[in-house]
Amino acid sequence: MYRTMVILIGIVLILVTVGIVMLASTSSVQGGTQYHDPLFFVKRQAVGLVVGAFIALFAARLDYHYWRPLAIPLALASLVLLVLVLIPGVGQTVKGSSRWLRMGPATFQPSELAKFSSVILISWWMSRFQLHARELRMGLVYPLALLGLFLGLVFIEPDFGTTMLLAMVGMLLLFLGGSRVGYLAVAGVGGATLFSLAILHDPVRLRRITAFLDPEQYARKEAFQLLNAIYAFVVGGGRGVGFGQSLQKHFYLPEAHTDFIFAIIGEELGMKGSLGVLALFLGLFLCGLYISYRAPDRFGQLLGCGCTLMLSLQALINMGVVTGSLPTKGLPLPFISFGGSSLVASMALVGVLLNLARQAISEEDERDARCIRDAARRI
Amino acid sequence: MDLVAGLLLIALMALAARIVQLHVGPNDSLRRRIDQTRRYEDRLPEPRGRILDRHGNILAIDLAMRNVIADPSEVLASGNPRFIGLQLARVLQLDPAMVMARLNRPNRRFEYIQQRVPDETADLIRRMQLRGVSFDEVSARHYPQGPLACHVIGFANLENVGSAGIEQRFHTYLRGQPGLRVSEKDGRRREIFDRRVLDIPPQRGADIYLTIDQNLQYMVEKALESAIAEHQAKGAWAVVQRVRTGEILAMASLPGFDLNEYRSADDLQKLNRAIGYVYEPGSTFKVATIAAALNEHRVTPDQVFDCENGCWFFKGRPLRDYHPNGLLSVADVLKKSSNIGAAKITLTMEEKTVERYLRAFGYGAPTGVELPGEEGGILADRSQWTSLSLSRIAMGHEVGVTALQMLNMLCAVANDGMRVRPTIIRRLVDAEGHTLMESKPEFVAQPIRSETSALMRKLLARVTEEGGTGTRAAVEGYTVAGKTGTAEKAINGSYSSRANVSSFMGFLPAEDPDRIAIMVVVDEPQGAFRTGGVVAGPVFREIARQAVRYLDIPPDVPVEAGVENKPEPWRSL
Repeated sequence: MYRTMVILIGIVLILVTVGIVMLASTSSVQGGTQYHDPLFFVKRQAVGLVVGAFIALFAARLDYHYWRPLAIPLALASLVLLVLVLIPGVGQTVKGSSRWLRMGPATFQPSELAKFSSVILISWWMSRFQLHARELRMGLVYPLALLGLFLGLVFIEPDFGTTMLLAMVGMLLLFLGGSRVGYLAVAGVGGATLFSLAILHDPVRLRRITAFLDPEQYARKEAFQLLNAIYAFVVGGGRGVGFGQSLQKHFYLPEAHTDFIFAIIGEELGMKGSLGVLALFLGLFLCGLYISYRAPDRFGQLLGCGCTLMLSLQALINMGVVTGSLPTKGLPLPFISFGGSSLVASMALVGVLLNLARQAISEEDERDARCIRDAARRI
Repeated sequence: MDLVAGLLLIALMALAARIVQLHVGPNDSLRRRIDQTRRYEDRLPEPRGRILDRHGNILAIDLAMRNVIADPSEVLASGNPRFIGLQLARVLQLDPAMVMARLNRPNRRFEYIQQRVPDETADLIRRMQLRGVSFDEVSARHYPQGPLACHVIGFANLENVGSAGIEQRFHTYLRGQPGLRVSEKDGRRREIFDRRVLDIPPQRGADIYLTIDQNLQYMVEKALESAIAEHQAKGAWAVVQRVRTGEILAMASLPGFDLNEYRSADDLQKLNRAIGYVYEPGSTFKVATIAAALNEHRVTPDQVFDCENGCWFFKGRPLRDYHPNGLLSVADVLKKSSNIGAAKITLTMEEKTVERYLRAFGYGAPTGVELPGEEGGILADRSQWTSLSLSRIAMGHEVGVTALQMLNMLCAVANDGMRVRPTIIRRLVDAEGHTLMESKPEFVAQPIRSETSALMRKLLARVTEEGGTGTRAAVEGYTVAGKTGTAEKAINGSYSSRANVSSFMGFLPAEDPDRIAIMVVVDEPQGAFRTGGVVAGPVFREIARQAVRYLDIPPDVPVEAGVENKPEPWRSL
């Protein structure tokens, strides 16, 4: 288990390093023109990194069982903050979305907290009512209703990417927690229908979908980012154009330093760079899975799975969007994209995973336990 | 749990495949297309060479200007397009509604707000830091003197191609070499500076020094202007030329136009009448025919001809004089401008002799001055002459000339018989200061001997003396040699007594080798007296009076001697 922890920490450190280095490259243009400081974004990210490191350390040292009684208060706090964001004047609206809360010089994105607290909430619920998991109400309706509160509030910000992510992770946790697949399938289809209806009523998002289906047609506006992200990979080729040499960051990709940073990695570092980052997330996923598998109790297992899925699904969706395999959604790439809240939330999730690893059943214990289990089964 | 893990792993593998496909898939044509759209090529505007007068005063120059460009999609995205539009309209003094209409095109990424804005105005806008507003460097032609010498200078159109005058004729010299900048452009279509691979600076075109003198030109134009006002004439034109070298010091044609507003000028205003208007010269032409007769020794200055008291039937057709005369010597025929006398003198020669002289004087062909649109005039081939032609040509009918051709002939007569090609170019200097071309007097022909020329100078000087037709052209202190001309315009096939072309040509001081020659033509003057002596003579005097003072040409006649009754100077020869 010690080895897994070292690998996990190593992966995260590499990701964070790649992130800050690539941020220095990609954000220099926008920082230079917008704020007259090429390092503007790097400085802000460094602050997030320090805060994130402390929170990760704290989470790693805090016995994860303490999160159990905190599940409801944390969920309430997130909900309150999510409501606050919607109030004009309190929340900050950028490009039509109210996602940020301003606190002095810093801004904070409550949906990132929601990611963390929803994982804890569902894990707590499904372990607490483990015996009722196959019932319709206790196993599906109530936890889904709780999750629905988060989803609804995030949805009307609007932040469709995070809504999707929360819904997917939540459903997967319900499945892992023992809900009936049939119920989940019905709920999933229902949710997807609602989601599509909402999108059909939102011209901006609808155009994003149609643009995704036929990018050349919408090359001027809707698919501009999408096409340019794909161009970045194509231009990068096998070897990349060289660090700092990206052309796409010069306003071809307006979100080059946030959601589309993976494209710049592909352009500057080439295939070895982008596949490397993909491999790192694969490693993260496998480590997280292994740790969850070894968790000493049900709550730990679900919590570990939730954290792992949250990080790797987000990475997967982001890379899927950037490579043009999924319709455009505003989701940052964990550890790498610019965004303090996202970085801190990702670090906290890793911290929880590390604590799980510390308390994981060692191989010997496992072997002993298996003897007892096998003996019991024989009787 | 294994199911979830498996699904996610499959998704990750699919993603990896997609990444590999994008990076190293068969995308060469797409890669080339991307490189092509990212390529930035800027043609750096080349300043056109300047046009200057003989002393280096600037007549035409290129100014660095800017086009104000907006990216409407960017402006609309800024949040307050109204503010941006109003600011632009205010600074550029445009109609706000028009500016807003141009900005309100969300699908456009390029829209000119205004072209050719002075640098200071552009800087003012730049300092406002309006989003989506950018600038484009251009080079725009400016004519600091406005309408001065407009026909000589000509103009360059919006594409900087010379379209008239010197601008047109010397376009290949004035035009510079555009610079080229190759680089890559960013998503806002601007150049990325550190990607520049080629940067060739533009090269300025050559400067052209004209023989025109700005101040003299101004005096000439003023004199013509007041003449037009005084006689309600349709137009007036004049040329001032240095006799020995053929340099044109001033060439004006009215009505003219402001070169900076050339687009609102009509074709009549744009016509350089001094070289592009062909008219029947009338009496001024007698200088050529009488000089020819004298050069051929067919007549002597004091040979007397009967001027038939104003009406002479030649081959059944009448010839009339404006003032009836009796017996006149050849000298007096010229002085009093008798048509009958001139006809009789010319009839002493054969047709082929007369034609040889006229062609040698340059009639029927352009003079070769370096201006576009020069007419060659009309001098029919001898085979087409009728039996009356010689008597008509003698007094300047049946031929078409330009003012410059007349002046050129007069210069040859004054210049010891040497005809020099008139020139308006002094020097061509390239951007590095090397002289590309220097104009030198160019000998063309010698129609008459220098003795005949000397005799003609004396005879022509009598025209402005008491009893001559050109007394109003006399300039105090100077011997003015010249000739008046009053032609009736041919309208619908017959001569009109209402529409005249009145002219005076002359040179002064008559015996000074540095003499200048001036030709003045007034088109359709109104009023009771419309003869060349009355209408064009005073204009000549006005120009000549100021020109000799400005050019510092010393007087050749003591003022008190001018009043004395001088002996006939030609008798002493």
